[in-house]
This record gives sequence, structure tokens and C-alpha cells, in this order.
Amino acid sequence: MATVVRGIVRALGCDVLVVNDASTDATAGIAQEAGARVIVLPLRLGAWGAAQAGLRYAVRNGYDLAITLDADGQHHPEELPALIAAHDAAGAAVTIGACPARLSQAKRIAWSYFRLLTGLTVTDFTSGLRVYDRRAIRALASRQASLLDYQDIGVLMLLRNKGLPIHEAPTAMSPRAAGASRVFSSWLTVFHYMVATTVLCIARVGGPVRAAAGGKA
Amino acid sequence: MTAQITAAILGVLLAGSILYLVRRDHLHGPYALWWLVVAVATLVLGVVPRSIDWLARLTGIAYPPVFPIIVGLSLILLRLLQLDIQRSRQERHLRRLTQKLAILEEELSLLRRLQSGPPVRPSATPAEKKPDTVN
Repeated sequence: MATVVRGIVRALGCDVLVVNDASTDATAGIAQEAGARVIVLPLRLGAWGAAQAGLRYAVRNGYDLAITLDADGQHHPEELPALIAAHDAAGAAVTIGACPARLSQAKRIAWSYFRLLTGLTVTDFTSGLRVYDRRAIRALASRQASLLDYQDIGVLMLLRNKGLPIHEAPTAMSPRAAGASRVFSSWLTVFHYMVATTVLCIARVGGPVRAAAGGKA
Repeated sequence: MTAQITAAILGVLLAGSILYLVRRDHLHGPYALWWLVVAVATLVLGVVPRSIDWLARLTGIAYPPVFPIIVGLSLILLRLLQLDIQRSRQERHLRRLTQKLAILEEELSLLRRLQSGPPVRPSATPAEKKPDTVN
């Protein structure tokens, strides 16, 4: 954790925010020590809930660019300058740091199924390494994005339906240093994920639907 | 005649307990209205079972006893659907409130540190953020 934070600071010299998804271990303190700001969610919201908290932090503090990366060391901070350069060159709202080489056979099949279903031309749907510009940050910090569960297809479809360009840039990744994939841990969760995402895809096909009304949290 | 007494007792009991709960403020706002309607319906249908035959004839249902079953099941389904819609809305609110609380908490502690000591550190322009997906 400390290595990741220090790596980012060394590579970009920017602010680092760590979102602690209601865990009680020492990670938050370590991150703070390494020079990151830490926000602690009082309730566990899952991967996307935590990422969105970070994006809302970015909106509130007026940042122009947000990068999300996993804290387990699978994304390399030293790849970030190249990724940002690719993002700027493409003029995209979101740039995904993709590493197709790490995908297993099962994932490849699943992803081509989702490509067919959504019409998105993305090779690495679940990569947590992403660069968002101001437009994407605004769109994803909205209430409309609050009921998503993963930072993957639902997020990309929302951006696509808002007409924001999506770009993908190849990058290097290492196997997770700690922890396991949330989605691909057992066949039951894989099945659940596939069904939930399929439903999401079908529900979102054909453009934006009026967002549910309600007070602002 | 005994069947009618059973039905009446059930109707009165259900209506009574609903009325009691509404009066004790255990049911809130729109739910109270909904349950009051249910209470009145069970009361009427329980005490005057003939009304079922009449309603069934009115709606063209050949076998009157299924009338309350059909209506009851449909209402339960509708209510369940509405409940899930409400739950989704509450989930959305809960998630956003949780996020906002965490953001404000960080802001507050930053302000406290700035107030009590020397500036912690200057901020750069581009943002970097990383959701912690380890835990």
C-alpha cells in the first residue's frame, strides 16, 4: 500500500486519495503515513461505491483529472505518465489501462459475450486502472451511477450513453500482490456476476432512461 | 354458519390489529392508508361473505371463492414490486450519504489539522485517486 502511494507521488507528484471501504485494519494509517489523503466509508459499499466516493471527492474539490487504480499493487504507478499521455492524445473522457494478456480463457469468452451485448469495443472490461476527465467524473459522480456495483460495464455504458468517448491503452500489470479478484473467485459469484451484468446490459440498451427523482444526498 | 363466524373473526382480528398498529404510530404515512384500506376490506368480506359472491358475479368470475384469492395475490405482487422500488431508492440514498459523510469527515479533520498546526501539505493540480479494493 505504502509502495503504491509513494510510487504515484513519485511518478506524477499529484494528490493521492485512498478510499477505505469500511475496513478496520492498519492500511488507512499506512497510506496516510505515505502521504495520501484517506477517506473512510462508515459502511461497506463495495468496489464501485468506494470508487464513486473518490470521484465525488474529485468533484467537490474541483479536480480536472482522476485516475483510479487498485491498491493491491497490480497496477504500476510508473505506467501512469504514459497512460495520461495516451488519454490526452485520444481526447477521450475515459481511458482504460488494459492488459489483455492477463485475461484467462473464461474471461475472454465472457468479455466477447459482453462486447456483443453492449456494442462496446473494449478488451479489458474489469480493469480498475482508468483515467477520467472532468466530463466523466461529473457523469459518474451523479446519482444515476450510484446503484452500480462494479467499476466495469455499467460504468462504461453510462458514459457511452452520455456520448462520452471511451479509449483503451495497453499497459503492463502484475498479478495481484495481495487479495483475490472479487468477481472471479467462485463459480457461483461468476454466475451471479454474469446474470446481473446481462440484466444491466439489457436494461440500458437503447440509450439513457430518465433517472429516478429524489432528494440530493 | 360456522364458516361465516370464522371468516368474521379473522376479518375483525386482522382489521383490529392493523388499526391498533396505525394508532400506535408503528405504520407511517402512506403505509397507514394502504393498511387501513386492507383492514376495511377484510372486515367487510369477513363479516358479509355474500359480498364476495356479488363481486365475483360483477367481475364475471364463475367460482366466487377464488375472487379474494386473485385480488389478494395481485395486490401482494404489486405491493412487493413497490417495496423493491422503494428499497432501491433507499439504497441509493444510503450509498450517497455514506460517501458524503466520509468526504466531509476527511475535510473536517483536514481543517482541524490546519487550524491547530502548520499547513500539512500543499495541493497539486491533477487529482489522483485510488479506491482501495484490497479489503
